[in-house]
Amino acid sequence: MTHRLTLSLATVSAAAILAATPALAQSRTFTVSWWGFNGDALQEIIIDPFQEMCDCEVIFETGNNSDRLSRLQLREGAGVDVIYLTDRFSQLGIELGLFQPIDRAQVPNIDEIYDLAQAPQGEYGPAYSIGRVGIVYNADEVEAPITSWDDLWREDLAGSVSLPGITTTAGPMVVLRAGARAGVDAYEDPDAAFAEVAEIVPNVLTNYNTGSEMINLFSTGEITVSMAQDFALGRLQAAVPSVVWADLEDGAIATLNTINIPTGSENVELAHQFLNFVLSAEIQQELAERGVDAPVNNGVDLTEEQAAPWTYGDEMIAGLNRMDYVPMNANLDDWINRWNEVFGM
Amino acid sequence: MKRLAGWMLSSPATLAVSLFLIIPVAATISATFTSPGGTFAPYGEFFASGFQRTVLWRTFEVAAITTVISLILGLLTAYVVSRSPPWMKSVLVILAVFPLLTGVVVRSFAWLIILGRNGVLNNTLEWLGVIERPMALLYSQTSVVIALIYIFIPLMILVLIGVLENIPDDLLQASSSLGASPTATFLQITLPLATPGLIVGAVLVFTASFTSYATPHLLGGTRQMMMGTFLHQRAMVSFDWVSASTVAAIMVVVIVTTVLVMTRIAKRLNPMAS
Repeated sequence: MTHRLTLSLATVSAAAILAATPALAQSRTFTVSWWGFNGDALQEIIIDPFQEMCDCEVIFETGNNSDRLSRLQLREGAGVDVIYLTDRFSQLGIELGLFQPIDRAQVPNIDEIYDLAQAPQGEYGPAYSIGRVGIVYNADEVEAPITSWDDLWREDLAGSVSLPGITTTAGPMVVLRAGARAGVDAYEDPDAAFAEVAEIVPNVLTNYNTGSEMINLFSTGEITVSMAQDFALGRLQAAVPSVVWADLEDGAIATLNTINIPTGSENVELAHQFLNFVLSAEIQQELAERGVDAPVNNGVDLTEEQAAPWTYGDEMIAGLNRMDYVPMNANLDDWINRWNEVFGM
Repeated sequence: MKRLAGWMLSSPATLAVSLFLIIPVAATISATFTSPGGTFAPYGEFFASGFQRTVLWRTFEVAAITTVISLILGLLTAYVVSRSPPWMKSVLVILAVFPLLTGVVVRSFAWLIILGRNGVLNNTLEWLGVIERPMALLYSQTSVVIALIYIFIPLMILVLIGVLENIPDDLLQASSSLGASPTATFLQITLPLATPGLIVGAVLVFTASFTSYATPHLLGGTRQMMMGTFLHQRAMVSFDWVSASTVAAIMVVVIVTTVLVMTRIAKRLNPMAS
């Protein structure tokens, strides 16, 4: 009996020591909220070296923009130290009062990034990557090349298009393009814009909510055309090599991917260090070369081949259409209802 | 004393149900009665929208069709299993339960592979020369119903096997020896005695189908929105918690009403059914 008791105590003690060891080695945890896309590469390029620098354990919260922002709202801005969001959702977070201003003195690398990335939403988070929303299509399946946004309405594409859902970053852009097709400003005349959205319904098989969903739709042959963000292009072409990025005469739409520090961050100083680290030329160079994210740091130098998938270079950036998310967020509830009426009836 | 002991024994379960079910549901629903527009304003807004009425009706329709087909297929399967020799019965029960060992998302994905444009079904039909080009089968109400039946029918089968096994053979033999045909025996003896199991199975399948999220999301897409996916949109995307709570409250009301109606039908068909 005594022997068994001793053995049990030894086992419990060993388990307790093992459980306590990581806590002793890494005194604090740092929580990053991001998409989970390209997880292995991000672990290697950002997380492992940052953990060595900060003597902390980095843990993650993953999910799409809306899910993670919603979770942050439920926790009233707590539980996360830095959050990656596209500018549409970071603007929403700012309006909800979930983020704190960035102390730019603690992030000297901000001075090295493109002007439009430094403070895209005022005193809040900078953009760490710039992207485009455009059209991708399977060149083997679509007869005539797609050269303008209006081509999405072409009759030969019936039942073969997937649009981003209205609740995603790119979804409301469909409404704006529909407004442009109708010759109106969608904010001013949503009736006319949504009449054009209704016109595209026969072409749409389904709307997607995540980039992975869209890639699946292409790889299973369900669709041949979609609106997409350029960060998904590499994986999409790996799955379906005949998919190409359409060269649109009326221009792609810019998206800025931001990093913000929530109001409830428990490691504010570390969060600023993280921002500075991610914006450094070395990290940005590696992220671009490895096909993870387009760079915003002016010091990044890419070959033509390396730059091919990215929104990179002054000329390309100057040709992008910009979005104003303040009126978009103000109209979003109405747009979601109208969109549901058009696609869900 | 006996009564007190009964209360004491059931109190932990009662406390758990109150803490983890009744209080959260009540708190969720209470938010819909305190909106600035008035006590029932969120409900008025919900039913004023043609789209939201469509979503509710579509969800009810999908859940009802799934339940009816699961009842028919489940009853036939359970009948065969319950009448099989013991060794075969074990094998058949394992086969019936096997799908439950994987998650709903995996089972829904399986149907993406089967029903896809380049999927098993389209490829087979093309190979057989039945169709010339692949059909668009996904993102339709039919694909959602097929997947829901596949996902929830094991519940129905398991419940019905238990009920059918408990019907005494003597009764069936007596019916047969009094001249009833196998069909008459099934309709007049087996079916009424199986009613409690049918009701329990129907309630399980209906409730699970009505509240499902992953399968309608994956196989129905945004064009076949159901109450679960709509609730997610209202809560997690629009950040409109009152509207989301209203959807949740309506779902609770529909489910409770359906259960009550089914129980009443069961009592009518079989007065001994509880």
